[in-house]
Amino acid sequence: MIAALLKVMTLGLVRDKGALSMTFLLPPLIFVIFAAIFSGISGDQMRLMIALVDNARTEDSIKLVAAIREEPLLRMYSGHIDNEDSLRQAVSLGEVDVGLYIRGDLRLDAGTPPIVIIADAGRAMAGPILSGHVQRLIANKMPGIILGRLVPSIETLAGGLTEAQRSRLEAGLDNLNQQSEDPGREEGSVNGALVSIETHGVRGGSSAVSYYAGAIAILFLLLSAMQGAATLIDERTSGIVDRLAVGPAGVDVVVIAKFIFLTLQGIFQVTLIFLVAWIIYSVSLPGHFGLWVMATLLASAAAAGLGLAVASACLTKQQANTISGFLVLILSAVGGSMVPRFMMPPWLQDIGWYTPNAWAIEAYQGLLWRDADLQALIPSMWPLALVGVVGLAAALVLSRYRLKLA
Amino acid sequence: MGATVHTPHAVLSVDELSVNYFTRPVLKSIDLKIDRGEVFGLLGPNGAGKTTLIRTICARIQPVSGKILIEGKEHAQRQALRHIGLVPQEIALYPHLTARENLMTFARLAGLSQAQSLEALDYAVEACKLVQQVDDYVHSLSGGWKRRANLAAAILHRPSLLILDEPTIGVDIDARNALNEVIKDLSTNGLGVLLATHDMDQAETLCGSVGFLRGGVLAPVGNPAQLLQTFFGDRQEVLVRLREPASPRICKILSDLGFSRDSIGLERRQLLRATAEQQARLTKTLESSHLPIKEIRFRRPGLDTLFLMLKNEENTT
Repeated sequence: MIAALLKVMTLGLVRDKGALSMTFLLPPLIFVIFAAIFSGISGDQMRLMIALVDNARTEDSIKLVAAIREEPLLRMYSGHIDNEDSLRQAVSLGEVDVGLYIRGDLRLDAGTPPIVIIADAGRAMAGPILSGHVQRLIANKMPGIILGRLVPSIETLAGGLTEAQRSRLEAGLDNLNQQSEDPGREEGSVNGALVSIETHGVRGGSSAVSYYAGAIAILFLLLSAMQGAATLIDERTSGIVDRLAVGPAGVDVVVIAKFIFLTLQGIFQVTLIFLVAWIIYSVSLPGHFGLWVMATLLASAAAAGLGLAVASACLTKQQANTISGFLVLILSAVGGSMVPRFMMPPWLQDIGWYTPNAWAIEAYQGLLWRDADLQALIPSMWPLALVGVVGLAAALVLSRYRLKLA
Repeated sequence: MGATVHTPHAVLSVDELSVNYFTRPVLKSIDLKIDRGEVFGLLGPNGAGKTTLIRTICARIQPVSGKILIEGKEHAQRQALRHIGLVPQEIALYPHLTARENLMTFARLAGLSQAQSLEALDYAVEACKLVQQVDDYVHSLSGGWKRRANLAAAILHRPSLLILDEPTIGVDIDARNALNEVIKDLSTNGLGVLLATHDMDQAETLCGSVGFLRGGVLAPVGNPAQLLQTFFGDRQEVLVRLREPASPRICKILSDLGFSRDSIGLERRQLLRATAEQQARLTKTLESSHLPIKEIRFRRPGLDTLFLMLKNEENTT
């Protein structure tokens, strides 16, 4: 008897392509995504995007810049940045994960560290990571710099060096630098005061909270829009669409009304999330209300459009539920709703730009964290508008097509 | 059949209509006319093309040739479609709304103003005798009341052509009879009705004319009584209902006596001209043959007899 029921369940699973893909395809896919993210975080695959400005232009700084450019664990920003201000701006706008500014001769002790790492509080973790990379590179490629910086301190404490001592020391440091270029040499580490980290943007609220408010908002927008849009299939199978198709309303009205409803529902839903973020975590909502409304409207419209397109393409509600569950999980994992995208390997970050999650998070981060104005937010808002419009258009076309085929 | 002439009384005229599904012909040169106050029964087995014909009339499917006029207007025009009230086979209502909320919603979607919708609600509720149930949630209504509400939603905008696709499927006899009464009242008030049904009793009760759709062809068409007279004349139908499925021996005996089997297998039918004496003799023969007979009935053939006969003919062909 149990065998008979086992057979029924097995056949049910095998013949239901949706359940089959949810059971056997989605888990390994999600595993691949998270494995890629977390191996990058715990291992050595997190490749930060950095911008650097060399204000010193000395032999050492040029050598350090070359070493950084060759470093496989770092990616160089390809945009034009040639001074400290534009570097700081690139960091605050999120164009790069972290900035590196070489402000003076690496060998001179001018009272402040010659290398400044500029990080945004939203990606505060990027600062210490780059600092580690830079110090490792200096220790391995230019170890003499560390010792050279110690000499003035030794002279102050122990009296001046004689000419003979000084020339032997310089020869020794040159020798040390030459040895560092030997590929067979073992790596070492130094603990110098060469590098300082400046983390910017620590305000009333927390960047992480504003990040996650956006990330969770778009995740739930997608979930509820997909669920709401699936009622389109109920209306199709129950004959309501048939009834309306002969009236003045037509089938388009059903799709458009659902789009408006889901968009408004989304705005309300996101408002609740950000109200909590504002009240409990002091996320700066009132100061950015106008742009926040615009971002929320576009994110909600994008989710509604996408949900309706999926529902219109599906034949049954079960099919729609399976596909939308699949889609929301993948979009959210890749788009940064579960783990910040800067922690992902570059290839996954690039794929992330094809998700509405990435653009919605970018828009909320931009307006709430970086105080971006409308012009600065347009690049992250228009993809959301595009998803909404294309989704709605696809839903209208597919619904008419389904009506003809039904 | 010749081309249909559109008369001033016709709410629907279908002329030489042909529809293909990709390259396969589904409807072949269909002619059909429904006048005001007339109920036309569209009969035929599953897959015969009834739903395709309805969808083509509703401009959902593009015909390859032919013409459809609704109230004298080309059917594809929005204005023409507004004359149609469609009652889909499914309960095309929102189950989480009350009947009243549903009807108000569909009235607004039919393009009526708020005031007109209230008026339309009263009319539809009255016409479908739904007064007691109008404030009940649709999901809580019984099958028969759901069917009435489904019908009410189709007449809110006072259409001149009502298209019903299997309106009594899955309801009990009382509910079916009540719904038949509503449909009859509506037609009496001037609505032209196209009724697609498998229920031959309903077709015989309601329809002024019926058409059998078989293999994409609508034939024969006519008044039910006239059709039955044409096909059966004064012959009677002998119906033998068995208590259990017939063994090959029993099949042979019944076959030798001239009975043919129906699709279910528990009934055997025969058409014959028989006097009362001949009927009594046949009954005696059947009774003395020790067959597992539950019932022997002599009756005038109905549309169901014609339906089965045409279906058997088609299968034989």
